[in-house]
Amino acid sequence: MRDATGIPAIVLMASLIGVGGLCRDVGYPMGAGVLSTLLVWAAPGQIVLFAAIAAGASLPAIAIAVSLSSVRFLPMCMAILPLLKGPRTPIWLMVLLSHYVAVTAYVQGMRVLPDMPQEKRIAYFLGFANTVMLAATLSTGAGYYLIGQMPPAFAAALIFTSPLFFTLSMIASARRASDWLAMGFGFAITPLAVVVAAPGFDLLLEGLVAGSLAYAGDRAYRAWKGL
Amino acid sequence: MMETVAISPYLVIILAGFLPSEIWRWLAVFLAKDIREDAEILVFVRAVASALLAGVVAKLLIAPSGGLASIPAFWRGGAVVAGVMGFLAFRRSVFAGVLVGEAVLVIVGLMG
Repeated sequence: MRDATGIPAIVLMASLIGVGGLCRDVGYPMGAGVLSTLLVWAAPGQIVLFAAIAAGASLPAIAIAVSLSSVRFLPMCMAILPLLKGPRTPIWLMVLLSHYVAVTAYVQGMRVLPDMPQEKRIAYFLGFANTVMLAATLSTGAGYYLIGQMPPAFAAALIFTSPLFFTLSMIASARRASDWLAMGFGFAITPLAVVVAAPGFDLLLEGLVAGSLAYAGDRAYRAWKGL
Repeated sequence: MMETVAISPYLVIILAGFLPSEIWRWLAVFLAKDIREDAEILVFVRAVASALLAGVVAKLLIAPSGGLASIPAFWRGGAVVAGVMGFLAFRRSVFAGVLVGEAVLVIVGLMG
């Protein structure tokens, strides 16, 4: 809980104030923005959602765009859930825990959980994630009313908070060669993937290519070091 | 073609927002069921997750949405670089890095 009142919560609140503003721009009620934070629980996915609604896209087209932007939850959940799972954790609890996985809880969890006794991990994770989710939900509601009255430079800064925080958190929590390589390849390959891939599939292509290269690099590094 | 305006906003959030993103989390629960936390496959999975996160950031810099589009591309990248430098300068503090990066962005935005 204490951890959740710090930087991650502030950053998340800033990005969701931005999302609240986007929700208002498309003419949706405030409750829809708040619901999107509780249910989608991914600022980039919510930005895609409201941008697609604003563009007047059809429902299936919006769903596909959001889904493609959320593909990262597959590897993220697969990486963090084994840390949370005890010998007898029921499947419904795993499903519930998986809902809280988004960048904020993922980054925090991957940093803190490995050094924590197994039986304390789920309680910590839920306490942390629920606290930041509450803060994020309140911010979405506040942003709905606030963002229209802000100078554009501040609106830009709010949207910019979460990518900047992602980047610095990844650097701060990188431990092994594959972490650094994945980040480097990810940044380098994205502009290429945007040009080469079919619209919407760029991140999927980039993630698989950059992730594979990083893994191969990590293997080579370990072999070279004799690990 | 289905018009989004014709159906309830709450239903749009659930059908086009919640379900399409949640499906990946559910699939992961199923796939991670028998994976131990020290499994080799997780090194690969984590690399893909990190690469995707880096990609999300890079894409926001290349093709920004909302108010961020009002900041020139050079300065969007410059603000990230400034953030990383702030992070390194202040004893690897994420908070300091975010503040420095944001400060650069706001100053550029106010001057532009």
